[in-house]
Amino acid sequence: MSTTTTSPRFTWLRQLGQNPMTIKELRGRMRGRRAFVVLTVYLLLVCGLVAVLYAGFALGSNNRSTQMAATGKSIFVSILTMQSFLAVFLSPAFTAASITSEKERQTYDLLRTTLLSPRALITGKLVSALSYIFLLILATVPLQSLAFLLGGVAFIELFVSQLLLFISALAFGLLGLFLSSLMRTTVAATVSSYALVLFLVVGIPLLALFTLPFISMMMFTSATSPPGWVAVVLVYVALAIGSLNLPATLIASDVFLTEYDAIFYYVDTIDRYRVVIFSPWWIYLLIYFTFSLLLYWATIRQVKRIPNV
Amino acid sequence: MATIIEINGLTKRYGKLTALNNLNLKVEEGAVVGFIGPNGAGKTTTMRILTTLLRPTSGEAYVAGYSVAKQPDQVRRVIGYMPDFFGVYEDMKVWEYLDFFAACYGVPTQQRVGMIDDLLSLVDLNHKKEDFVESLSRGMKQRLCLARTLAHDPQVLILDEPASGLDPRARIEMRELLRELKTLGKTIFFSSHILSEVADICSSIAILEAGKLIAHGDIEEMKKRLRSHRLIQLRVLGETELVQKMLVESGLVLQMMAGKEYDLPEGTVRFDFSGNDQELSQLLGQMMKADIPIVSFSEETGDLEDVFLHVTQGIVQ
Ligand SMILES: Nc1ncnc2c1ncn2[C@@H]1O[C@H](COP(=O)(O)OP(=O)(O)OP(=O)(O)O)[C@@H](O)[C@H]1O
Ligand SMILES: [Mg+2]
Repeated sequence: MSTTTTSPRFTWLRQLGQNPMTIKELRGRMRGRRAFVVLTVYLLLVCGLVAVLYAGFALGSNNRSTQMAATGKSIFVSILTMQSFLAVFLSPAFTAASITSEKERQTYDLLRTTLLSPRALITGKLVSALSYIFLLILATVPLQSLAFLLGGVAFIELFVSQLLLFISALAFGLLGLFLSSLMRTTVAATVSSYALVLFLVVGIPLLALFTLPFISMMMFTSATSPPGWVAVVLVYVALAIGSLNLPATLIASDVFLTEYDAIFYYVDTIDRYRVVIFSPWWIYLLIYFTFSLLLYWATIRQVKRIPNV
Repeated sequence: MATIIEINGLTKRYGKLTALNNLNLKVEEGAVVGFIGPNGAGKTTTMRILTTLLRPTSGEAYVAGYSVAKQPDQVRRVIGYMPDFFGVYEDMKVWEYLDFFAACYGVPTQQRVGMIDDLLSLVDLNHKKEDFVESLSRGMKQRLCLARTLAHDPQVLILDEPASGLDPRARIEMRELLRELKTLGKTIFFSSHILSEVADICSSIAILEAGKLIAHGDIEEMKKRLRSHRLIQLRVLGETELVQKMLVESGLVLQMMAGKEYDLPEGTVRFDFSGNDQELSQLLGQMMKADIPIVSFSEETGDLEDVFLHVTQGIVQ
């Protein structure tokens, strides 16, 4: 094989750059004008949005400085919302088709008889799908930093939010990839990916919305109020559930930063208990990173398997 | 010569359907083996097992000494596979297509450029190098796919109906290509429906029918063996039971067909006779002696194909 002498630390990077699947997929995705037209249209949309928000601020007159901060924040939040949609819904859409399309086109068998390892195959698929999404996400960061000029947003807020988006795109992308390796058709893989993603992103808050008032009603309206540790347990349960959900994590982490000046945690007293309350963002990272690793492993296994039919 | 493909007691069931039933087969290194059988015989199933794409229900298969079930990576290194139905990446240029697969086989970048040119001239597609794969005709795609199977210089080529869907001219070209690959020392294991079409390029053939290997051997020997089968049609007045009994007792009748089951009219018996002329006339004499009212007694003539069809007829449901 090739006899290049790069330091071993970077061999994985070289392998990634030479992954035939990455090269092929990117060639296909970036071929022609489509990819650039999409990027341009998307950036124009975001610019338009920012322009409208900014115009709203410029036309309003009184109390410049607080309004400037508010405008900064709203630019930040609206771009973040767009980015979240990309990470959550575009990522699995790209990856869910990636292996099933090979099956549907009857190219999967050809691929599986080559020496391309299952790991290289799915890494290539993942990298090519995510790199386009990361490109779309990163392309709007300069616009977002307009918020710094206006004030109202700290760098750490931007950093944490982008980190959350990246891990979400990775995890949901891997979810799509796993289902793509499992299912026969793109339709089945896409539908099942969206069902799971919607559950994680929309289903959990809805479920919480319906069950939490019910639980607290049961507990706190009874004659004897429950012992203090119950409240502590409930706080942790809520924290854990919130840390499974991207919107909740984005909002709560931001609140922790702005209200409590807490990056990782803060200490609170609940009914004479001193409680350490963790900021959900890094719990989210931990959970979704583990989830990603598991999915990566499961997908490799699925591709490696010699099937019975 | 060394055995390069070895299939031992291979069985594959899809639910209740037995697609392969205890298949045993050996292919010698450098041989060109035609794998013949009608639709649904299990050819594709066998090839998918050999190419590590399908798990057998039971039995073992080895390619170049490697177990297809336990050492798929080593097996993939030595085989080039062309499926019966396959797709191509339409949004790729011809050279990109070959470059991609060569890369998948770990061929270093520097070697690929020259190799792609060599492969394209082998399959006569040089002039299409910069064209998109989607613009190629069916025959060209087939040849491109064959070029693809050669990207890692495999010892064994497993080709599932390489000539299907091609016009007569393209079939001849494909045959020439296989011949050329044979001179390059490749072992070629390929399937076909049509015996006569492959007979002149094969060194041996294996005939599969309903998941069972019914004949296997050197092509010349097979031709002889098939020729020794003579198909005789006999018509008598009245019952055929006595005739059938006598045929069985002669010990020279390999297979017998009579009655509605085989779509034959009353009183007609058709049988596959393995004896020579003398033995045949003796048999006729015996029947006359037994006072069987024979109306006609004739030998059917046919080419290899017909004989093959008749020989295998009884086994097809
Ligand atoms: N995935 C599958 N699920 C169920 N049955 C199958 C499957 N694949 C093949 N079969 C059955 O197994 C039998 C053998 O099929 P196979 O494709 O191996 O035949 P073949 O000899 O290649 O036929 P052809 O000449 O039509 O290509 C057939 O009866 C077929 O219906
Ligand atoms: Mg077939």
